[in-house]
Amino acid sequence: MTGKRIITLVLIIAVLALLAALPAVVSRDSIINMAVLVLLYVALASSWNILGGYTGQTNLGHAAFFGLGGLTTRLLWLSAGWSLFPSLLAGAGAATTLALIIGTPAFKLKGVYFAIGTLALGQVLNVTVGDMFPMITSLPVQQLVSYQLLPRYYLFVGLAVLTVGTAYVLVNSRLGLGMMAVREEEEAAESLGVSAFRHKLLALVVSAFLAGLTGGAFAFYHVGYYPQFLFSPVWTFDALMMAYIGGTGTIIGPIIGALFFVVAKELLALRLVEIHLTVFGTLFILVVLFLPGGFVQAWASIRRALVRQLGARGVRLASRRQAS
Amino acid sequence: MQFLQVRGLAKSFGGLMAIHDLDFEIEEGAILGLIGPNGSGKTTTLNLLTGFLRPDAGTITFRGHNVTGIARHRACQKGIARTFQLTKTFLDFTALQNVMVGRAYGQQPARNLRAAAEEAKESLEQVGLLDKAGFMAKDLTLMQRKKLELARALASRPQLLLLDELMAGLNAAEAEDAMALIRRIRDSGITMIVVEHIVKAILGLSDRIIVLNMGEKIADGPPGEICFDPHVIEVYLGKAPCLL
Ligand SMILES: Nc1ncnc2c1ncn2[C@@H]1O[C@H](COP(=O)(O)OP(=O)(O)OP(=O)(O)O)[C@@H](O)[C@H]1O
Ligand SMILES: [Mg+2]
Repeated sequence: MTGKRIITLVLIIAVLALLAALPAVVSRDSIINMAVLVLLYVALASSWNILGGYTGQTNLGHAAFFGLGGLTTRLLWLSAGWSLFPSLLAGAGAATTLALIIGTPAFKLKGVYFAIGTLALGQVLNVTVGDMFPMITSLPVQQLVSYQLLPRYYLFVGLAVLTVGTAYVLVNSRLGLGMMAVREEEEAAESLGVSAFRHKLLALVVSAFLAGLTGGAFAFYHVGYYPQFLFSPVWTFDALMMAYIGGTGTIIGPIIGALFFVVAKELLALRLVEIHLTVFGTLFILVVLFLPGGFVQAWASIRRALVRQLGARGVRLASRRQAS
Repeated sequence: MQFLQVRGLAKSFGGLMAIHDLDFEIEEGAILGLIGPNGSGKTTTLNLLTGFLRPDAGTITFRGHNVTGIARHRACQKGIARTFQLTKTFLDFTALQNVMVGRAYGQQPARNLRAAAEEAKESLEQVGLLDKAGFMAKDLTLMQRKKLELARALASRPQLLLLDELMAGLNAAEAEDAMALIRRIRDSGITMIVVEHIVKAILGLSDRIIVLNMGEKIADGPPGEICFDPHVIEVYLGKAPCLL
């Protein structure tokens, strides 16, 4: 138990050190940009996982929170001249407010209605923002001239650490136990004193806050894009697929999923959105059908099988030794 | 002050009157048996008492508080816990985690998760499942799951505990075991409403019995009286002689 803990701690420190040192080791911007993408997806998938994986409420409108955070941050930071951090916080605040507004009625509905409700919310915002902000948003010339990748990279490192850390602390707390109880068996949880409504709302609010922050970081990072792009359902479904492929309801699952997703996309050179959706969609369906716990579960099964094999061999060896 | 008082309780589903104008009360520390044919409204009564259903009419007063139509989690926090006729175990939790939920969210909840884990072990021990604390609930037998749900409910520190067919599906030895357990719980000072179809068990356990038929109370009294009530024999007990 403690041995396992020490290994985990060492691994975490190693990963953090690697992330901190990465820009010093590789100087190519393309690698750093890829790392940014991984970190972005780690944050997005982990934030989705708080509600979707740990609380069992399938949110099909995560892009709405990501997009609203991004839109708010970009507007405040570029157009209103706010400095970065207040703009990021305001973006996350806007996403949280939206979560409170839609969460209250949405959680009065059950199961599939929440999924449909959030899907509708995402689509409505997607279309509305497309109509209201049809023009591309680009960094002004003076920003472009002084554009630096490294601060953006470190912002995403901090964001990913914050998101994963928040998820970890939350799910290992009393509230996390309540959230998972609601996921497992809502009526039983309520009969034991857990307010399902409050726990779902809490999970949604935390999830939306972190997604809004991630959207804000994207708004700070990206040179030029259509505001509507951040509201595309692709963000929702990518995050959802990563969480599932890696393993929902685990801390490491969305991290593995994000890493796998970005690297595989790069290796397969599937830059076109349509094709990558087909490939990953197929993989997602296969995982849901045959491996509901994702890579994390697959790894656990393999390890159990190995231990059993080795254990059996150990017993055989021991009995042989005894016999001789 | 009456411990639990139910007045004029009514609930219908569409045209079906599941509970009709039900009155009853319980003394603190007693075991009340609730029996009746299938569909007579026993589970519905428990659902009404725990906020799982909202009554159409009537009032429920628990230790001086009006708890009519209270939210489910509030019922537990006020001291009314329950088990379910069809088990609703947290299957992907360990046995200990199942019980921790009750301890972390029930009455006088534990200060933190560590305390909840320690105190949850007491409830596991109470039902004889302490050696299964680290087992996944899905790997437990039906009997063990039922005991686990009991431990979970006890961990919420209720004053009133509602048991919906705890013994259904158990063999004779297991049912004996469950009866002894229910008596021990009563001796620890918890008042209970026990729904069972095993007549011998309910007669032996209860201080008082209420018989429901088609949503109406048709008898209310000590086991010895219920046993020989002609109406009860006709609709529920059948012709078999009553063995006490
Ligand atoms: N949620 C519901 N919706 C519609 N009808 C219901 C609902 N719950 C119970 N009923 C109906 O109400 C009546 C009483 O059901 P209840 O479950 O209380 O019976 P019971 O006495 O517990 O029976 P059993 O011994 O079979 O468990 C039945 O006719 C049942 O079909
Ligand atoms: Mg019933």
